[in-house]
Amino acid sequence: MTFRAERAGGGLDESNSLDLVCATASVRSGALLDEAVSDRTRERLEGLAATLPDVFGTVDPTCLDRIAERLGGKPGDATFVEILLLSDTKLHVIQPLAGRPGVAVVAACPANSSIGLVLTAIRARVGDWEAR
Amino acid sequence: MSVEAEPSRVLPSIPASPGLIASVLRLLAFVDDLPFGATGVLDFGEQGLILLESRKICWAVARCMRLRLTDILRNQSTPPLPREAVEEIYRRCKGNGKPIGEALVTSGLVTEAGLRVALFKHNGEAIAHLAGSGMAPNGFVSHTRTGYDPKFSFSPGEVLAMLGSLDDPARALAAQIELGNTLVPDSFGAAFVRSSTSAGALIIAVDRACDLPVSDLLEVCNWTAGLFDVAHTFDPEASLALATWGGHLALVAWRSKDVTYLGLCASRAAAARLVSRLESSSKSSGVIATAARYREPV
Repeated sequence: MTFRAERAGGGLDESNSLDLVCATASVRSGALLDEAVSDRTRERLEGLAATLPDVFGTVDPTCLDRIAERLGGKPGDATFVEILLLSDTKLHVIQPLAGRPGVAVVAACPANSSIGLVLTAIRARVGDWEAR
Repeated sequence: MSVEAEPSRVLPSIPASPGLIASVLRLLAFVDDLPFGATGVLDFGEQGLILLESRKICWAVARCMRLRLTDILRNQSTPPLPREAVEEIYRRCKGNGKPIGEALVTSGLVTEAGLRVALFKHNGEAIAHLAGSGMAPNGFVSHTRTGYDPKFSFSPGEVLAMLGSLDDPARALAAQIELGNTLVPDSFGAAFVRSSTSAGALIIAVDRACDLPVSDLLEVCNWTAGLFDVAHTFDPEASLALATWGGHLALVAWRSKDVTYLGLCASRAAAARLVSRLESSSKSSGVIATAARYREPV
């Protein structure tokens, strides 16, 4: 399964075989940052992007640190690196960019997609997004 | 004659007030603030005490309690256990200093499950009364005496869940069973609902491996509730969430009717196993079937 080249504005073309759309968004404001995404992509991702301030602003990092400690993990890396939300019809992904603090990739595709392939597709683009 | 486990039976003498959970949370915070492994007595003066072993609650008593452990134990079986037999064991334990509950199990009068249920009720009721009094403990008296069987001690989270279950014991029992059937090794979890009796999540079931401080447990439950709330704005049917952090740790949350479950996993492999188990127990759910395809990309 291959992807077509992403659009100039940074969002993956929604016509790819996974029907995956993704773009970058501000974690603080919840606004999409890729200006050139198509209207359809914007429509599919705007709602998800708008939730970022709530999703990331309401978690106490020290709490995650303490839970990490109880789970045998190492405290000090108390930020969610990936969040997946699933329903019977849709899969949504949020992935903060480690190289661009305050920016996250938001993505959506049908629920019958292979999650592994979706994550691979998103991660393949992370380098480009982080370089911007 | 043996006592059957009846975890759904409501404690009739727990004072049911809107502020109960909030006051219990304040009290349990004293337990959570003790150093890891703390063993001793949380002293409330004439009001009562909470006996802890390795920061787990072994025994609690409040002056104004109406039911004693022996009453609870006797009334858990049908017909009730003979008072003389119970009192004879009580006298023996008073002489040799052994815990009465464990002596009752040894005698065959009570099953382990029955004792655990009775202790759970007794301690929960005591803690509810102590919390309701609004008193802070006078202090913690540390000691080195141990001897309580860990099977019969309870984490603060378990006590909180027991009190949270009073609204709907059947729902809480179903949630406890769901957790037991779903959680995998290297994971622990809890179940909660939204309720007007608490400001946010009302925890109704906790698995026994969960020893998180109640404040952290509530924090992560509230975050999970908020995640599903905001997800509702763009996907009202969203019912499963996976969040990873700290390199390999994962939170898996799923909803069923009005109950939200969460499993905290020590590895992504554990998260994948948990989701896979969800699939096998919920064949009809397309959401779970989709998530079961969750594998780390190569």
